Amino acid sequence: MESMYQEEGSSSVTCSPLQLFSMMSLSPSIGGIGSPYPWLSRELKSEERGLYLIHLLLTCANHVASGSLENANTTLEQISQLASPDGDTMQRIAAYFTEALADRILKTWPGLHRALNSTRIIMLSEEVMVQKYFFELFPFLKVAYILTNQAIVESMEGEKMVHIIDLNAAEPAQWIALLQVLSARPEGPPHLRITGIHQQKEVLDQMAHKLSEEAEKLDIPFQFNPVVSKLENLDFDKLRVKTGEALAISSILQLHSLLALDDESSSSRRKSPLLSRNSNGLHLQKVMLMNQSASLGDLLEKDMANGYTPSPDSTSSSSPASSNASLNAESFLNALWSLSPKVMVVTEQDSNHNGSTLMERLLEALYSYAALFDCLESTVSRTSLERFKIEKMLFGEEIKNIIACEGAERKERHEKLDKWFMRLDLCGFGNVPLSYYGMLQARRFLQSYGCEGYKMREENGCVAICWQDRSLFSTTAWRARK
Amino acid sequence: MVDLDNVSTASGEASISSSGNNNNNQTPKPTKKKRNLPGMPDPEAEVIALSPTTLLATNRFVCEICNKGFQRDQNLQLHRRGHNLPWKLRQRSSKEVRKRVYVCPESTCVHHDPSRALGDLTGIKKHFCRKHGEKKWKCDKCSKKYAVQSDWKAHSKVCGSREYKCDCGTVFSRRDSFITHRAFCDALAEENAKSQNQAVGKANSESDSKVLTGDSLPVAPTPAAITTPQSNSDLPENPPQIVEEPEAIVTTTTAAAAAAVLNANCSSSSSTSSTSNGCAATSSGVFASLFASSTTSASASMQSHTPVFTDLIRSMGCPDRSADFSAPPSSEAISLCLSTNPGSSIFGTGGQECRQYVPTHQPPAMSATALLQKAAQMGAAATNASLLRGLGIVSSSASTSSGQHDSLHWGLGQVEPEGSGLGPAGLGLGLPCDGDSGLKELMLGTPSMFGPKQTTLDFLGLGMAAGGSAGGGLSALITSIGGSGGLDVTAATASFGNGEFSGKDIGRNS
Repeated sequence: MESMYQEEGSSSVTCSPLQLFSMMSLSPSIGGIGSPYPWLSRELKSEERGLYLIHLLLTCANHVASGSLENANTTLEQISQLASPDGDTMQRIAAYFTEALADRILKTWPGLHRALNSTRIIMLSEEVMVQKYFFELFPFLKVAYILTNQAIVESMEGEKMVHIIDLNAAEPAQWIALLQVLSARPEGPPHLRITGIHQQKEVLDQMAHKLSEEAEKLDIPFQFNPVVSKLENLDFDKLRVKTGEALAISSILQLHSLLALDDESSSSRRKSPLLSRNSNGLHLQKVMLMNQSASLGDLLEKDMANGYTPSPDSTSSSSPASSNASLNAESFLNALWSLSPKVMVVTEQDSNHNGSTLMERLLEALYSYAALFDCLESTVSRTSLERFKIEKMLFGEEIKNIIACEGAERKERHEKLDKWFMRLDLCGFGNVPLSYYGMLQARRFLQSYGCEGYKMREENGCVAICWQDRSLFSTTAWRARK
Repeated sequence: MVDLDNVSTASGEASISSSGNNNNNQTPKPTKKKRNLPGMPDPEAEVIALSPTTLLATNRFVCEICNKGFQRDQNLQLHRRGHNLPWKLRQRSSKEVRKRVYVCPESTCVHHDPSRALGDLTGIKKHFCRKHGEKKWKCDKCSKKYAVQSDWKAHSKVCGSREYKCDCGTVFSRRDSFITHRAFCDALAEENAKSQNQAVGKANSESDSKVLTGDSLPVAPTPAAITTPQSNSDLPENPPQIVEEPEAIVTTTTAAAAAAVLNANCSSSSSTSSTSNGCAATSSGVFASLFASSTTSASASMQSHTPVFTDLIRSMGCPDRSADFSAPPSSEAISLCLSTNPGSSIFGTGGQECRQYVPTHQPPAMSATALLQKAAQMGAAATNASLLRGLGIVSSSASTSSGQHDSLHWGLGQVEPEGSGLGPAGLGLGLPCDGDSGLKELMLGTPSMFGPKQTTLDFLGLGMAAGGSAGGGLSALITSIGGSGGLDVTAATASFGNGEFSGKDIGRNS
């Protein structure tokens, strides 16, 4: 350290950021939060700060992953000096990532974690609003709707009775658009039934109302069947699929949470995870790193108030990193297949946030959410409350889930398209190229959207919606193979 | 009621696939043995394929006295009572009748597949008649033909009862044709407030369709002044022109789509009434000239016509044409594009916001994506030297200013403008480095540089053995950050953190 300073003394004027980084990261916070680091002779520019934040984030993640919580704590402190949910893109991202990392650390003290979260209010209306903002402030859902609707319309050509199952019926716009398209069909509109699934009855009521209203205006025989249920508990009988009717399924950002069910099913076979405490604080055993299927959820379930003795490493014979046979996701898809849909359109995030190690997920998430935050930065003002809400309540929560949760708790298991391809293929679905016309419409929509960064990529009849080069969402169409 | 007679006396025509499950014709489905129709006909149901003759037959039961025909034997029997003839009503068979489902005998038909069988005899008869039968019933008001009498009756009740008039003057009696027409018509229409006020025809029009208001609609029919001329004179179609032109226009969506539809429409409707044809052709002509001029000002000959698409979609009616509209997708496109709903228009606010928002008041900051790529590049730097060069780059791009040192305050929300102009605002710089691998390298370092044992990751990718580089203290320092193992880091921080800083050091760089 001394040598470094001496060496750099002569070049103190051109003190480079990395030097600063290293100095800063090694020194404990002086004077507490908010006090300046006295040796800084100048403000960090946004870019430098951004780079520094990345550096710190990675350092911190490193520490968390290796269990050195003291260091993680230090790093967190430093990051909080720089990060801010009101700042520039990188600052915001850092804010949410560090919150997620902190949450992860906190989970090693389950009592503390639970206590801190015990009075959280979940406002349903806020949740609904945030989904609305996501729909309005990004083109992703709109493009997905365009592609989905077009696929449905084309496959239902000539059908008199159409039944659509919406795995997450939250946004009426999609079906209103479809109603309008169907009403303009040359052979006249079909008798349309939409079965909407959602966890909240109020949302379904709202959908029913809006859609029925629209159908009435367009004079389309229409029926909306609400199904209040979580996807994982879905009772397929409630869907009331009828004989001889043409069925379409629309799944938008819903399937990935089912992947978490694998962990749940296999958790019962697992031994208790390892947790030990020593005088330096809590350290997660290395084995937790290696056996990613070990579930923090398990940890939380046990009585940890008093800590417990570490079990020998040999007991970490917990199940190997979950194999690709996602039992419950697979059975869900099989059930969908057995409904013999004419077409199923699946839209999912196209990023790999399902890596087995924290670092993998963190790195990938950094890239994906950087892109998403960039989208907002380019299109929405920094002072916008909607933007803040999306960042905090939507992305922030996703990031928290990806980073801080393990096992069945970790619902945001985004995977890349090729993985979904395999899964769907395995469950008896055959890929159907999206219609040329649908893609054309989607492209035009994006073009007219007015923001240069959004791009659309098409490959083998599958569409990926990207921000710059980063693919964020993918849409594909499927039919049930016999 | 099923005519068991006809079915069972397989005079070579009828056939019954064996009862039981439908799996005869399809691969067995997995697991589920549900009782009630999860998308498949009841597996217990008997699949019946009646012959075309049977399906088409009407009035097979004839009274011998007066030759009156009946569709059902029961009805005939009841009629025979009137002639004082002996009659016998057959009872429903007392045992449980197995549920029957019917498939269409036409092999090209969708409903030929037992999994798409229909549950109702009347239904399958009507289906067969409609789809594969001859259209014997013709509406007298319009020229529509029907194969099923009930369809015909239903139609003639509504035919002509409603009329929809497009702003361009064309009259339609069918809503769907009206809507499709208006799709094109609208694409050529000028969007301005005045035209929006002219709610057309039978619009159940709601004000919310006005969302497509003038300015900010992203998909708005562009060069406004497309309107259809007042007269219905035929204009020559310019299909090729229309198709090519779209590129000339910024918002090509509706325009091109409309053009395409218009195109198709024009060609297909050539046989129809001159009114509609004229209108359509006119529209295309207008369209073409619009493209040609590629201006937004209305041309003199055009009449301003504006109902917004959604208006269009909402409203009813269309000209009754015998030709099929061959390009429904376009109108769908348009409707999709312009689907409006005050609460959730697909196109609405987002696009508007996007287009209107210009981040001028925010400093052009490097996007997060670009920052990550840069960090990755730095991390991927293989040697200390290049790292320092990298540092040099970084530092040179940022001017050093002597001044405040409370720069660390901003974490708490006092972001000050940076304005170092590092790149286009909000857009990634598209740095050539493959960000993903670079950051990973940043994390993992290159194996060759690692010491034999790394339990944690050297996230700067320098991988130099702690303390072992020619680069001197700096690199060693950095290495030790990423360090080789938690313990090392702990030690390092401990050593650094516990008072190694002297006031001299701290003050050195200020």
